[in-house]
Amino acid sequence: MSLVNYAAREITCKIVYYGPGRSGKTSNLHYVYDQVPGDRRGSMVSLATQTDRTLFFDFLPLDLGSISGFTTRLQLYTVPGQVYYATTRKLVLQGADGVVFVADSQRRQIEENVESMQDLHANLAEQGVDARNVPLVIQYNKQDLPRELIMDVPQLDDILNFRGVPFHAGDALRGTGVFETLRSISELVLRRLSGATAAPSVAAGR
Amino acid sequence: MKFIDDSRVRIAVLLESSGRVLAQHGFARSIDVMSACALAAAIHASAAEIGRQLDGTPFTTMHHPGHERQIFLGELSTGRGAHILLTVFDDATSIGLVRLYFAELSRRLARAAAATPSAPPAFVDFESDLNRNLATLFGRI
Repeated sequence: MSLVNYAAREITCKIVYYGPGRSGKTSNLHYVYDQVPGDRRGSMVSLATQTDRTLFFDFLPLDLGSISGFTTRLQLYTVPGQVYYATTRKLVLQGADGVVFVADSQRRQIEENVESMQDLHANLAEQGVDARNVPLVIQYNKQDLPRELIMDVPQLDDILNFRGVPFHAGDALRGTGVFETLRSISELVLRRLSGATAAPSVAAGR
Repeated sequence: MKFIDDSRVRIAVLLESSGRVLAQHGFARSIDVMSACALAAAIHASAAEIGRQLDGTPFTTMHHPGHERQIFLGELSTGRGAHILLTVFDDATSIGLVRLYFAELSRRLARAAAATPSAPPAFVDFESDLNRNLATLFGRI
């Protein structure tokens, strides 16, 4: 759960971007890194292969500012999406306060999306975490691709969003939906921490 | 501070196994500490997993001697679960001394961590602070 340091009056929340390989998790973080002012972010750490596929994780720390007198920081992680990095995904997911599931909207990727969503729930269960209690936001990425190649958002939502969580259409390369997604998950995580019951004010869907 | 004075390390960071910082000495910017912690947690988790797969037992400490600086990473078991200590040191001390004081710190932390459950922080002005900061960072979407 979120780390609250009363002595230093700091809150740190870990948000993990999950999803199948090449769905756009790292692109989300790159866009955030490029857009957020330098004094509000740290260095982006990427442990990637020579072909830029995520090997271990990407990491980006963000300074959200002061909330109720607590300096609030977000730690954004991505997991490697490729199937054979299962162990690494479990390690990165450990201690997550919130998860962004980045789905690939391409029609031919639907099975990978479903498998990755199942993998997320299995890994949370393995860590003794009830997935229903973990704040989750879904981003349907690559909605900019030609219509004949992708499924539209309601179709994807029907298949993947069985929990009825907030969702956003995305084009992470150009930034569409990136901040909306991050804002949604930040709100969910911090509201959960505060014990507030109000619904998030910003969510494209639900 | 006692560990730092005794062991004479340059940098010491205490973190959770998920990579979150608990306490640090030696870094100027807190946001830089977070990157170091993410990497330290990853190294620790990888080493533990390799140990488990090769040996059935996780590796709990790691030492990397560089040319001028050395890194020692070790797991501390406290009453509140496992934590990790990352230290960076130079020729002002030695790996033997660092290990010695690490073991002492581990014992002291285990004694000090008699668990008192932490309550959620009392948030005042939560909504307005949250909305203001989200708007500042992400723009008014």
